[in-house]
Parts: sequence; structure tokens; C-alpha cells
Amino acid sequence: MPGSIIAQMAVSGALMGLVYALIAYGFQLTFATSKSVNFGQGELVMVSAFFSLTLITLGLPYLLVIPLGLLFGAAVGMAVERTGVRLALEQRSEGWILLTIIIGLFLFSFAENIWGRDDRPFPTPIPSTPFHVLGVDVTPLEVSVLVGVLAVMGMIELFKRRTLLGKAVEAVAADRDAAELMGISATRTIVLSYALSGGVAALAGILVSPITTVGPTMASALVLKAFSVAVVAGLESGFGVVVIGLFLGALESLASFYLGSGWREAPGLLLLILALAVRPTGVFGKAVIRKV
Amino acid sequence: MKTFLAALLCALAAPALAADTVKIALTGPFSGGSAPMGTSTRDGSKLAIAEINAAGGIQVGDKKMKIEVIERDDEAKNERGALIAQELASMPDLAGVIGSVNTGVVMAGDKHLQEKGITKIICPAAGSASLTQWANKVGPPPFEGPKTLSIFRFAAHDGIQGAMVVEEAIRLGFTKVAIFFDSTNYGVSGRDDLLNQIKAQGNKLEVVATEKWNIGDKDMTAQLLKAKAAGAQGILIWGIGPELAAIANGKAKIGYNVPLIGGWTLSMSNYIDNAGANGNGALMPQTFIEEKGISPKIDKFISDYHATYKVDRIPSPVSAAQGYDAVLIFAEAVKQAKSTDSRKITVALEDLKTPVKGVITTWNKPYSKWDPANFETHEAFRRPQVVMGKVLDGRVTFSNPADRDRLKAQAAK
Repeated sequence: MPGSIIAQMAVSGALMGLVYALIAYGFQLTFATSKSVNFGQGELVMVSAFFSLTLITLGLPYLLVIPLGLLFGAAVGMAVERTGVRLALEQRSEGWILLTIIIGLFLFSFAENIWGRDDRPFPTPIPSTPFHVLGVDVTPLEVSVLVGVLAVMGMIELFKRRTLLGKAVEAVAADRDAAELMGISATRTIVLSYALSGGVAALAGILVSPITTVGPTMASALVLKAFSVAVVAGLESGFGVVVIGLFLGALESLASFYLGSGWREAPGLLLLILALAVRPTGVFGKAVIRKV
Repeated sequence: MKTFLAALLCALAAPALAADTVKIALTGPFSGGSAPMGTSTRDGSKLAIAEINAAGGIQVGDKKMKIEVIERDDEAKNERGALIAQELASMPDLAGVIGSVNTGVVMAGDKHLQEKGITKIICPAAGSASLTQWANKVGPPPFEGPKTLSIFRFAAHDGIQGAMVVEEAIRLGFTKVAIFFDSTNYGVSGRDDLLNQIKAQGNKLEVVATEKWNIGDKDMTAQLLKAKAAGAQGILIWGIGPELAAIANGKAKIGYNVPLIGGWTLSMSNYIDNAGANGNGALMPQTFIEEKGISPKIDKFISDYHATYKVDRIPSPVSAAQGYDAVLIFAEAVKQAKSTDSRKITVALEDLKTPVKGVITTWNKPYSKWDPANFETHEAFRRPQVVMGKVLDGRVTFSNPADRDRLKAQAAK
């Protein structure tokens, strides 16, 4: 098989893998501060995409739709934290697992009733006619995924390292009790992390929709893969999710090419089992010694 | 107490009133990926029903009876289809069923209707298996079909469509083609029809790639690259709208400019809309083209549909037209049977005395007595009622202008 086809498959797959990485990054953000994740993250991706689509059909320009979509995602993220996570965390229970799943199901029915069950195209001014780079066809849409994902992750990482608020987030992530003794409100930091996570999910929705269309079930497959990426990479490393996301995406499309499209998901799942068996903290994760 | 008794009497009397209507169930997917076909069939059928009811109803024996509609959404899910069929089969006064888009749903549900002898016109599901499941098979294992069958089809079955698709590919001068299909009953039976047809038409086409996908798949790059690498000059394809659109878009992405030739589903609005400009040039057999100027009856049907449902394009014109004509044929059978009893309607359908003027054509004895050795006895469509359509800028037009002239001449007669 000629090398150009392998390169084409790997590049197309890797660019989709970046979307998994972005959603996985959303899991990391909330896990760092609160040791909880939103199991309804996929639905958050989906409602944000639908919301943005509605804005576009109302005639708003694309460049205005992106920030509004992100704000919507952030608001929904905060709502999830308030209704599904905070009480459970205060009671030191694992109730957030079930509550976030339930909120996700609610968002799903909400979307079905408001926007219907059909897949719809998501118009964007970014063209989808491919151009040729190093023997590989790439569309500007795929490049927009690359740029969007790296820009937003870079901005959040800078925010965490350079600003006072960001440092508070890092402090709570490192040691919640010590941070509270220093006068940092852990609760507010967690709210912030859920808002960021929601914004990231919304961006994932806006970036992927023009490629895959928008529908209530659009994110169910995406979010499963994002979980794999988060677990394989480890729940600490932002750099790790990008690497693993690219790798998993490329692996998937090569598998569907060589083994047949029915085997597309198999290597990802094998990778997940392997990672859990060999490095349960993730490839880029650090083993944490928990003091009792 | 008196009022209570009166109310009770009224309640008991209600079923007697219901017997003064002809109850027809319209089923199909009114939501999900197959919805354009399901809703168009339903809405086309309801246009015909509204016209019949406005004229006072169907003449059944010595009285006129209006049509009462029961709607059920099967969501294109086989298990929902089975449940709905069971429910309908248990209704004592149901005259018949019109609908079903998905071959899997037909396979799951129709046995319940056949058991009770309830007349069903499958419309517009095209998968061959919907009727061949009742026909004799040589085996292994050998199968002997039932002597009587209450299931009819009103759609160009995939046998006809497969033949036309292969003909078209040969006409375009192709020698190497790829076969693409989805993993549903519809896709798999479509693939078989294509392979059989290629053999039947003299093995002029070499199948260089055979690829499939699942419902909901968005990324078809792998399948397309294989077809491209193998040098396929055209893709013969069997699937439904959203995934067909994903393939058209994927084709544009990898710069693989060959036509899609496939089942009539390439005319679904969710293919045309989701593929946009990438969808142009797709070829598919059609029983109806949404184009005015062929005959006054067709013009009226299109205008009525647009006005009643407030659209400027029928989501699936083929489905709407077939739903419309199926109701007219069913009503004629009720009239001839002089009864709302399904078994009598089945007999009447098998020997319809009066030609029915529909929007697709004038139906002259569309069905004949069921013969398990020949499933075409319960198929209404033959090759001449089907034309090749082509997607062009968001609409389906005639691929071959000669077909338009032929239909015009036929309508003028």
C-alpha cells in the first residue's frame, strides 16, 4: 500500500483525535480541582453545538457565535457543578457520578425536544475544499480544529501558570486543605474549573460539528473515546492528552483501513486495557502517594 | 344516576360509531435518519385521504365511509416496528396498514400482520427481502411460502433498482466499480442485488472494493481511500441519507471525483442538505420527480403538498407520491370489496377491476393473486415506472431528458 495513503489516513485520524483530546482536557480540568468529572460531558458538547447552530441560523456572524457558544458551555458547566457536584462533594459522597449522568440524560431529552432527533449540517464560513500538503489532502476545516484546540489549551495553561486566579486553581489541585488555609475558596475554584471545562466542551462541539453534523447522539461516541484518552494519558497532563489523542485518532483510522471499518474501535479499547494493566496512573500521569 | 347511565350507554355506543369509518394505520419513521421518507409518505398519504374524505369518503356497499387514520412512529427501529405490528394486529376493526421505510422494520413486524390476515401495503421500503421472505426458496434450507399473503409492496423494489444502477454504470463506460453498503438489512440485501445484477448483466463490471459502514458513522475516509487505491471509476452504493452525505463529503475531501450511483435513498433531503455541493451528480432510480409541467395532476399534487405542509421542497418526493398513490389504490380495493374486512380487501387488491389514476402513473391491475413462486405478483412497480434521477444543486432532476418526454407523452394519452 503506498505511503501516501497511510499518511493520509494517519493525518485525518490524528486531527479528529485532537477533538477527543479537547474533551479529555475538559475532564482533566475538573478532576484536578475536585477529583470529580462530568459524565454528561458529551451532552454538554452536543447542546452547546445545537445552541451555536441556533445562533448561526438566527444570522449571527461565525466569529461572534464562537464566544457566545463558549459562554453558553461555561454556564451549563457551572449549572452542572451547582446541581450535580457541589452537594455530593460537601457530603464526601460519590453521588456526583450518578447525578452528572442524570443531568446528561436530561440535556439529551431537552435537545431532542427542542431541536429534534435529526442530524443537521452546521454551516461555517471555513471552506471544506481540501488543499495539498506534503502529499496529504487536508481541509481548512481540519486545520481549524488543530488551531482551535491548541489555542484554547495553550491559553488555559498560560492562565493557570501566569495569573493569580490560575495559581489558585493549581493550589487547590495540589492540596485542597492547604489552599483553603491560605484563604483560597476551594468551592469557587471548583466552579471556575467547571466553567472552563464547559467552555472547552462547547468549543469541541463547535469545531467538530461542521465535520460530523449536529444531532442529539453526535457526542456519545466522541465522549467514550475522550475517556479512553484521559485514562491512557493520565488525568494530570494536558500535554499528555494531546499526544495520546493524536495517537489514538491515527490508530483508529489506520485500523479501519487495514482491519476493516468494523474494527475501528478495537485498538483504542485494547490500548485502554493495556494502559490500565501496565500504568494505571496513565502514560503521562504521576503516581501520587496518598498520606493517610 | 340517570346521567351516569346515559354516559355509560354513550360509551358503549361509541365503538358502533367507529365501525362507520375505514380505519387505516400509517406507520413509518417520523423521526431520525429515515424521517424524510417516513414523514413524506405519511403526508402524501394524508393528502389522498383528505381528498377522499372531502368527497364524502369511500363508497362501501350502500354507504359512504370516511377514512380514519391511526399514526405510529416506528423510529426506524426493528423492535419498535415489531411492537407496533403486534398492536395493529390486535385491533379488531383495522382495514389495513400503509407504510414502513426500513426493511429491518418490515422483517420484524409483518409476520404479525400476515398471521391475522391484515392487508398491508409496504411503502416505500424497497429492500428486496421484504417480499422475498414470503417466497419459495430452493434452499438450503428449502422454504415454502404461504399460499395466501396479505402483504403487498408499493415501491420500486431493489431488484429493479439494482438492475438500473448496474445498467447505468455500464452505460457510463465503467469497468471497475466499488460496492458500498450499510450494515443494515437494507444495505446488505442491496449489496446482494448489485452482485447478482452484475452477474446477470454479463460480468461487465469488476468489483474492485467492497466496503461497509454502520449507521451513525461520520468518517468514511478509510473506505473511500481503499476504493480510490483500487481504481474504482464509480461507487455503487446502498445506504440512507446522513451516511451517504458523509461519503459524498469524504469523497470531496480526498479529491476522489467519481459518481455515486445507488438506491433511491440518494434523493433523501438529508443527503442533499448535508452533502451540499458535494452531493451533486449522484444518480438514483426514482419513481417520481418533483418537477412541474409534466401533467396537471402532478402539478396539483406538488402545489397541494407545498401548501398543506408549508414547504417549498418535498423532503422525499418519491415517498410522498407513493404514499399518495398507495392510498388511492387501497381505497379502490375497499370500494370493490364492499367491505372494510382486511381479507376481502386483500382479495380485491389481487384483482383490481378499475384502473386507478395516480400521480406516478395510471395503475392498471397493479397486483395479481399471490404466488409464492413469483414474488412479483405482489409488487406494483415494474421497470417502465422508474426513471433515473440526478442530484443537481439541492434538487433531484431527470438524469435523462428522454424520460421527461416519455412521461409527458404518457400523461397526455
